[in-house]
Amino acid sequence: MTVWLLLALHVTAVVGLAVGGRRLTSRYAVFGVAAIAPLITAIWVASRLTSDDPYVTSITWVGQLDLTIAFRVDELSALLTLIVSGIGALVFVYAMGYFGPTATGLAKFGATLLAFSTAMVGLVLADSVWTLFVFWELTSITSFLLVGHKHPDPATRYAARRALLITAAGGLVLLAGLLTVTSATVSGGSGSVGLRDLTPVGGTAGAIGAVLILVAAATKSAQVPFHVWLPGAMAAPTPVSAYLHSATMVKAGVILVLLLQPALAETGPWTPVGLAFGLGSMLWGAIGALRHRDAKLILAWGTVSQLGLMIALLAVGPGKATFAALSILVAHAIFKAALFMVVGEVDVRTGTRDITKLSGLARSMPIAFVVAVVSGASMAGVPPLLGFAAKEAAIEAGLKLDGAERVVLLGGVIVGSVFTVAYTLRFLIGVFGSRAPEADDADRPSDVAPRRSPITAVTVPLALGSVVGFVALTAVSNRVAAAVSLVDEKAATFELIRWPGLKAAFVISMAIVAAGSVLGAALARQTLRAPEPLGARSVDRLVDVVLSIAQRIARVQHGSLPLYVMTMCLVAASVAVPFVGDVDLDALVRWDEPMQAVLGVVVLVAAAATVSVGGRLAAALSLGAVGFGVAGLFVVQGAPDLALTQLLVETVIVVGFVIGFGRLGRSFPRVGVAWRPIRLAVAALVGIGVMTGLAASASRPSGTPPLDELTAQSVDTGGGNNIVNVILTDMRALDTFGEIIVLAVVAVGVVSLARAGRTTDDESATLPDEGAADLLRRAEPVSAGDRIGGTS
Amino acid sequence: MISSRSIVVRTGIRLASPLALVVAGYLFFAGHNQPGGGFAAGLVLGAVVALRAVVGLVTPRRASWILALGGTIAGLVAVAPIVAGHTLLDQVVVETTLPLLGKVKAGSALVFDLGVTILVVGLIVAVLEALDVYDLRSRTSRSVVQSDGARVDPARVAAQPTDTESIGAPDDAGIERGGTR
Repeated sequence: MTVWLLLALHVTAVVGLAVGGRRLTSRYAVFGVAAIAPLITAIWVASRLTSDDPYVTSITWVGQLDLTIAFRVDELSALLTLIVSGIGALVFVYAMGYFGPTATGLAKFGATLLAFSTAMVGLVLADSVWTLFVFWELTSITSFLLVGHKHPDPATRYAARRALLITAAGGLVLLAGLLTVTSATVSGGSGSVGLRDLTPVGGTAGAIGAVLILVAAATKSAQVPFHVWLPGAMAAPTPVSAYLHSATMVKAGVILVLLLQPALAETGPWTPVGLAFGLGSMLWGAIGALRHRDAKLILAWGTVSQLGLMIALLAVGPGKATFAALSILVAHAIFKAALFMVVGEVDVRTGTRDITKLSGLARSMPIAFVVAVVSGASMAGVPPLLGFAAKEAAIEAGLKLDGAERVVLLGGVIVGSVFTVAYTLRFLIGVFGSRAPEADDADRPSDVAPRRSPITAVTVPLALGSVVGFVALTAVSNRVAAAVSLVDEKAATFELIRWPGLKAAFVISMAIVAAGSVLGAALARQTLRAPEPLGARSVDRLVDVVLSIAQRIARVQHGSLPLYVMTMCLVAASVAVPFVGDVDLDALVRWDEPMQAVLGVVVLVAAAATVSVGGRLAAALSLGAVGFGVAGLFVVQGAPDLALTQLLVETVIVVGFVIGFGRLGRSFPRVGVAWRPIRLAVAALVGIGVMTGLAASASRPSGTPPLDELTAQSVDTGGGNNIVNVILTDMRALDTFGEIIVLAVVAVGVVSLARAGRTTDDESATLPDEGAADLLRRAEPVSAGDRIGGTS
Repeated sequence: MISSRSIVVRTGIRLASPLALVVAGYLFFAGHNQPGGGFAAGLVLGAVVALRAVVGLVTPRRASWILALGGTIAGLVAVAPIVAGHTLLDQVVVETTLPLLGKVKAGSALVFDLGVTILVVGLIVAVLEALDVYDLRSRTSRSVVQSDGARVDPARVAAQPTDTESIGAPDDAGIERGGTR
């Protein structure tokens, strides 16, 4: 029950902020409300952290398909939820300081961020495959809204769309992958496959599933070549980056790989494909981080690199590598969140994130400097910090392997780590160091606005987290081992080591730090050309192509009503083609009752009149006669419900004509000579098509309708004697629900169609699609765009 | 339009409205055992709303709210059984004895049907809003005061779609359009 209450609390807070948040004038109130649900969740899961008695709850929502929403709080999901909700609560406090008093749209922002947090909590707590999938997709959608928060900016819109296209495509791949895996593990209904009950999948299905799952994880975790959305996503306000790109969204891919490892680790492609994604991303991400000037982009590229390390470790698992991957995941969430927050603070207080413009911040922003040094050192793997212990575990895991895997993983990790140390040092020197006074205008220290206490209140504990994590290393190690053991039993025996002694792993570690420091110091003031993300061009082009195809398809909407009607009629008529063979003229009877013939003649005459009369009013009346004649046929056939509905619809249509005539001419316009035969041909085709369809349907042996059964069921379960209505509102109520949703959509469509021609288009509503990609590239090194509205 | 010209139609619709409400109510409740139901009731109500709108009587507005209300009611009925541990859209039938009416049997399907009814009304109100019936009414009642033949109404001309239909129409609007081009 607790999980449901917590999720309900999240949803209530989201809805409350979205609906009534505008009344909260203070940003403290907005983000205070938003922080409540994550905070309570974090406290609760922290209390479950050491409990080895898993808490399981589930609700079946489609019994026939065995579809359930299932959650499980065990040592693994509690640890992950603690990261998601704990960092979430801190991010909301941080946002209080990040946004200035004049910032607008905060309630919407807070609601969206909390909605994302809710989706993420659901994702990590999910106990069944399809629950995981649903929340996975929810994170894609909410993160799209977050990245596009500053949507008046075309570059932001482009970045958000790019993120959505890539992650949504990944969602489809995930769906395919999960279907492959579950259909191989479970025979028959694959509705509720528990995530902890996955058994190894072998053969072709396993191989295909492994590739699909890894690709899906790579899109979410921004792995090369799908990483291009992550740097663009830096267009979002920094609280979003600190949350999505340190602890949550990008970790979803890693978590997916971790959870599916038991099922797929034995398959052929798992290790090579995972290693290719992971090591490629680790190296290319680090190289990207070394070349950027925007401090936030340095961190974003660093994230790509770190995630690559985790994916690579999971790919060679199970065993020590899996353990190391989860350790790094924990450490990374803490130090990367702190670093993103520091960059946001620098941006807010100086107005720029460009490391070629910043100078002397070590003295003017001492607290931020210390936070950045501690967190950066943890990222670089310098003792005595949590990041060091985690990286040691990774190197040891590499040393334990044999053969090609050992060479590849160890080589990749070492080179990637050297680069990591280098870009960390470059980041610290670039942001906080004093620059040599060469340029005339920029040699003085940057102007710094006053400190904002909510930011400090969050960044300092996060920096302390990296230290405390090392001090209390045994506790951290035990939690990680207990969590990992749920996926991989072999990993339970490992631990993080505080002082490994002068062993190979430690020597390698120190050599990495030394080499990286030299490289970083050398590159610190080098302004290299900001790199195109590897494959960014091609992905961008793909996005452009997709959008231009979409626009070309949209051109089918030509705006000519006669052509629309003709298209629809022709398509409807062509449906009859497959049934032509079913027509059996001998099986057809003339009529069941003579009255049908009379009504048929009425309908025919009225129909002929409708098309032949000149005036609109006469045509409308004839059309009404057709409708009433058909209603009469329904009565004769014994379908009073249908007849009643038909009559009422006809009545409403008549009223509609009365309204419509106010704005139309009295008679029909003349049709051009060329069009007349085409219209006649279409009309004839439609007539033949409908007739064929009806004849085919009437030719079929109908058998006895299950009338008694239906009657019994309707009186029994529905409590009503009108079978038609009991079917509509009880037996097939889900269909009816779908239909009324269609009605609502139609209403929205009618209103927007009718208004489309009237209102002058908002300038910002039309997207300059062609130039947006270039705009984005130009906009990337620029910074200080991190505020909402006119904050300063 | 009709509103200012025919007091008979206007009064007739006004008098018929309560009757139609009763009919809608009857159809709504009768649907359980006899022809009728939520959809039919919604259509009757919708037709009344449309007629009242045409002649300028008070009608419900703000289609989005009505649509949202209907969708929410139906959605809640759909989800409620899940909370109680049943499956989606599970039916609950209650039987009680009420004063005057005697024994009454009602199910959760009735509430679901209410959602359908409200949504159908919302659809028709949305169409009326989209067609600017409310504005048309206030404008025509103003413009008719000038004369009965040539109504000058620039907003109406602007609202006309630019297709071939209205050009060939021997309507006064077409002449005005020629002027604006």
